[in-house]
Amino acid sequence: MQARSDDDPARTHPHPAPAAEGFGFDLIVVGGGHAGVEAALGAARLGARTALVTWRTDLIGEMSCNPAIGGLGKGQLVKEIDALGGVMGRAADETGIQFRMLNTRKGAAVRAPRCQSDRHRYRERVTAAVVGADGVELRGGAVEALLLAGESGAPRVAGVRLAGGEELRSPAVVLTTGTFLRAVMHTGDEVTEGGRVGERSSVGLGEQLAALGVATGRHKTGTPPRLDAASIDFEHLEPQLGDERPRPFSWATERAAFPRLEQVACHVTWTNPGTHERIRSNIHRAPMYAGRIDGVGPRYCPSVEDKVMRFADRDRHQVFLEPEGLESDVVYVNGVSTSLPAEVQEDFLRTIEGLERAAFLRHGYAVEYDFVLPGQLTDTLAVRSLPGLYLAGQINGTSGYEEAAGQGLLAGANAALWTQDRAPLVFGRHEAYLGVMVDDLVVRNPTEPYRMFTSRAEYRLLLRQDNADRRLTPTAATLGLAGPDQPAACEARSASIERATGLLAELRTAGGRSLADDLKRPEVRLAERVGDHPELAWLADDEELCEAVETEIKYAGYVRRQGEDVERLARRERTEIPADFDYAAISGLAGEAREKLARLRPVTLGVASRVDGVRPPDLALLAVHLERRRRDPQAAPRR
Amino acid sequence: MVRALWVDGDAPRAGEPRAVRSGRIDDGRGRQPALLLWMPGPRSYTREDVAELHLPGSPPLLRCAFERLVAAGARPAGPGEFTRRAFESGRIDLTRAEGVLALVGARCAEERRAALALVAGGLAERVGGLRSALEELRATCEASLDFEEAETGHVPRADLERAARAVAEALAEALRWERRRAPSSGEARVVLAGAPNAGKSTLFNALTEDGAALVSGQAGTTRDVIEGSWTLGGTRVTLVDGAGEGSEEVTEGTVDALARDRARGAREAADLVLWVVDAARTDASAIVAEAAGLPAAAPCVLAWSRLDEACATPRPPEEVLAAGRPALWAAVSAVAGTGLDDLAAACSGVLGLGAAQSGALGLGGLPRELSERHGAGLRAAADALAAGLDAWSGGATLDLFAAHLREATDALDEIDGRTTSEAVLDRLFDRFCIGK
Repeated sequence: MQARSDDDPARTHPHPAPAAEGFGFDLIVVGGGHAGVEAALGAARLGARTALVTWRTDLIGEMSCNPAIGGLGKGQLVKEIDALGGVMGRAADETGIQFRMLNTRKGAAVRAPRCQSDRHRYRERVTAAVVGADGVELRGGAVEALLLAGESGAPRVAGVRLAGGEELRSPAVVLTTGTFLRAVMHTGDEVTEGGRVGERSSVGLGEQLAALGVATGRHKTGTPPRLDAASIDFEHLEPQLGDERPRPFSWATERAAFPRLEQVACHVTWTNPGTHERIRSNIHRAPMYAGRIDGVGPRYCPSVEDKVMRFADRDRHQVFLEPEGLESDVVYVNGVSTSLPAEVQEDFLRTIEGLERAAFLRHGYAVEYDFVLPGQLTDTLAVRSLPGLYLAGQINGTSGYEEAAGQGLLAGANAALWTQDRAPLVFGRHEAYLGVMVDDLVVRNPTEPYRMFTSRAEYRLLLRQDNADRRLTPTAATLGLAGPDQPAACEARSASIERATGLLAELRTAGGRSLADDLKRPEVRLAERVGDHPELAWLADDEELCEAVETEIKYAGYVRRQGEDVERLARRERTEIPADFDYAAISGLAGEAREKLARLRPVTLGVASRVDGVRPPDLALLAVHLERRRRDPQAAPRR
Repeated sequence: MVRALWVDGDAPRAGEPRAVRSGRIDDGRGRQPALLLWMPGPRSYTREDVAELHLPGSPPLLRCAFERLVAAGARPAGPGEFTRRAFESGRIDLTRAEGVLALVGARCAEERRAALALVAGGLAERVGGLRSALEELRATCEASLDFEEAETGHVPRADLERAARAVAEALAEALRWERRRAPSSGEARVVLAGAPNAGKSTLFNALTEDGAALVSGQAGTTRDVIEGSWTLGGTRVTLVDGAGEGSEEVTEGTVDALARDRARGAREAADLVLWVVDAARTDASAIVAEAAGLPAAAPCVLAWSRLDEACATPRPPEEVLAAGRPALWAAVSAVAGTGLDDLAAACSGVLGLGAAQSGALGLGGLPRELSERHGAGLRAAADALAAGLDAWSGGATLDLFAAHLREATDALDEIDGRTTSEAVLDRLFDRFCIGK
């Protein structure tokens, strides 16, 4: 589809490429979570000499929260990461123990894959990918500080210093430290330093960033209790099974051998008025309500105490019991994230049907941590004020493995491309959810935890999970970012879809209509028509292909209109705003718009149009001045 | 700049804003009395610094002052420039800007009312109400798309559909309202002007099919403003007759003063002033002065009238024609019925009838185009919603319905300039010849 054009004037790195000499690595990735892994692997695929430094080499690709990949809005991200050669989709396919396609009845654009993962196997699979990757050196150790070079007034990154004093030198560093910046954990009134149970907090790095003038905010997130499977009375609970014919995330996954692992059920149960009563009477002991947490929590993933207090009219909330693995005894209690004191957690959870005898393996807790206000980044995820520093994942104020992995891939790739003096990898909002996410982060500068939703994408009908490969793999192939067999597979699939749509336009139904016209009707299914026409026999076994073809046809009119919208706005998207543009010199610009534009420095007029507080009159004025400056670069703005 | 011209009275200094000062300015040829109103930004119409000079209503004096100001570095405002600046500075939204333009161009009480409603934000508020209803619907729909059925955000289809139908009805109602509000007639208004007893009413009766103006040889016979239909090259226009205005003083508060005011109002709303002058007159300079007193906003055609009279000269004095006003003239005799076709052709030509219907003169077209744009926005929104409901009840999925809703919101946004393209702005602010 719309491949990114390399001659797009707005797509540039914010800083000139670094000198190649004197560095042991091209880039260093700090952190081994979902962002760090994709960053290191992506950079290595582009040929960069990469180091991945993490203080726990035994926890690479760890799922800190729920044992699941994908979901609404997130499944699309996984497909895009996969289309760019990332590891997340393949690892999820190989270690999934339940696969479901969500939202099947609400339309192809919002349909999204999700799986329950075997937490342990997922981590092993991802660790193996990192260890086995050419060009990635895995280093255990804690990063204490960034090494800086250049004059004191204009520093740039030169590597990292580890806890033992060892220095690793590189012109680029990708920080993917997740929730570990000045992290504090809360369980009731118990407060522990650290970003994850049993782990510590990253204080030195946070202080250094602050000293460098990087502005931060504070978020909180929570996690629910883990229970012992043997203590749960599953018999009376409603089981939730995976799809009968599960679909993998990755196009590289061999369909015949999928799924690899035994598939298991989750179980559904509900809170009840008794549960709510116990939570309410102890609410003063919840750190959020006692005023001990100042961080902003995600509205879309509320703690159970939040649900009870904010939706007081509801007498029950759904609870999913998710197994953490095939051999694991651990059950993740999805839906009751809590930071109430341990004994209160035990008390209220045991009022829930099936959990009367629940044995706790771990209590729920809340984590409070610093994040960097992402408006300080450019669309390559580089920090504007410090050449060579890239940030990805929860450090940018996002939540979720998929959001983190997507940013990791882009940050790693862009850091590598920067050191190689090649054009950056930036997607438009009409090209990828990844583009929507980065644009939202750097332009809107969100101050509450950012999670992907399909409604964030104005061109949602273009950004489907079924066409992620066709949207992105060609670009990845050009850059050398795609996996070895990916470009050919993508081309073959595109050709099949083209061949099928061509045939469908020619073939007629009994009534004389073309099959393509017939398929435009919502209730007509291609898979059901394939048998009537021998020419289509080759489609019969490929349900996924049938669906993709059908979606192409059913959505064609809508896709064309959204495409026209993109066209219409393209001029604005391409109108570059010079980095030294003097907003103060434009009279008539509203105060708020002036302040935000000067701070966020949008690279194009299109980006400026999405800055919160910038209104059409401001844009019109900006357009006039940009045009005037284009015609006469010397002209001073009219006062 | 103003300071350079100011010669005595209170010296105009920045400070004490929004106060009136009186003094005199040197216009290069002499001094004339002036009032100065100083409004520093952002508390001004355009949010920029504004100085207003109020000068005597004498055209020659005004011309001198104008030339002097231009020489000092001022520049006449471009078409719609003040209002464009007010819009660009965020002082007014697009519909309010249009309201100002429409108000200036309003030709009758009905249009003036409609324009005032725009300026007051009537349409903006109405669109705002529709938008929030639509956005509420969209939010519900989006929540339904981004949450699984078991979750809190999910909304049952029937509820969504009910809400959608309510918004569709509100849009239909707004469309009906917009249609009622639209100017009922696009007919150009040709208004007779001239000294009392110049023969306006005789001409009125000759030109209109249903002409019923009272005619007498006595000056000031016509008191009320009356209207009739005149067909110009196949297009009907409204011909308006009212009391004439001469050099005699009229005592305020009398019937004569009332009649004069009504006639003035009618002339101010004219698309074309049909200036009637008695062909027997020879006082050229008085005729030129009379021309200068005609409403400046509308073009003017001269009817060199009563050609049938014994002492009539066949053409107006050269000084009258050389003054640039009227644009065209025709010698006529309403009694003999001569020259009436020439007059019709002149008026038709100046009005641009037969050629481009609207906008050609920078008059008349504005309100029509405005209400068309507003109507089109509302209609596009209503159509998008209807198409969405149609597709949805035909079995299309919710993601597609959501795309229609988005389109409907975009259409509403276009009305008050939330997402207005440059083209729309240019058309609005440049095409219409209105300063402020």
